[in-house]
Amino acid sequence: MKKLNAASFAAVFILGYLFWLLITGQIIAIFSGTASGQILIAGVVVCAVVAFFSAGFFIHEKAFHLLNPMRLVMFLGYCICIFPIELIKANVVMAVRALSPKLDIKPGIVKVPVDLKSEYAQAMLANSITLTPGTVTVDIAEDTEEDGRTYFYIHWIEVETEEPEEAGEKIKGTMERALRRVWE
Amino acid sequence: MKIVIDVFIAIGLFFALAGTIGMLRMPDFFCRMQSSTNIATLGILGVVIGGIIYALGFLGDPSMAVKIGIIGIFNLLANPIASHALMRGAYIHKKKPVDELEVDKLGEDLVEEDE
Repeated sequence: MKKLNAASFAAVFILGYLFWLLITGQIIAIFSGTASGQILIAGVVVCAVVAFFSAGFFIHEKAFHLLNPMRLVMFLGYCICIFPIELIKANVVMAVRALSPKLDIKPGIVKVPVDLKSEYAQAMLANSITLTPGTVTVDIAEDTEEDGRTYFYIHWIEVETEEPEEAGEKIKGTMERALRRVWE
Repeated sequence: MKIVIDVFIAIGLFFALAGTIGMLRMPDFFCRMQSSTNIATLGILGVVIGGIIYALGFLGDPSMAVKIGIIGIFNLLANPIASHALMRGAYIHKKKPVDELEVDKLGEDLVEEDE
């Protein structure tokens, strides 16, 4: 197990406590002044135990990277605006494809380069790609290529191009640019 | 207000239906997984948003709305990891449709490593 450091413990604790408040409904009780002390204290204990055991797995880099107002705004913008737009576009395309009488598919696995260094950014991009219907990240090649770049292997239901750069631009162009602003 | 809720739930149901039909029609495992993503994203999100508006507007119960929102968030966090694990497992164990792919860069690279 990795050595526990205070910053990552604190970050996981805060995130866990936030979810505790949301799930137990206390966050609304706090605003209306009827919060129950028992639940709040039990939350502290539970979150401390959870954070103690899981902080080493969750946090590998800077724990409070997002606590920069500019980055936080970008992050929320990605979650609320940029990603949902991509998601809806891809969903409509996929629904039309599934319902069209002629099943128009051409599946294949393409290899696209990713220019994100941060581990969080790579994980977030891979999950965003997987959540978009029509593309799923199958594998990641890191440090195995000659040119030192990271590559994603992506299963694409309609292979429009095999050219790595061009395919990358089509699959994740907007999302990657937005994530670079958030994490780097 | 009622109409807005109905529209959101109808959107969710439409995408869930499209995803299900896609799953039944697609030829192989990988494409079926792609289609099922449809259900897990807009299919669920549409219903979740409809539920949030219902809880806030009709029942006037914010804590219920928050909990429905959490269902949506956790679904979005957990779903891609499961999809990815299933795809990778199916690929590594060479389920049949691997030969039918138009392009297979991962297979080419794996062969190179073996040699």
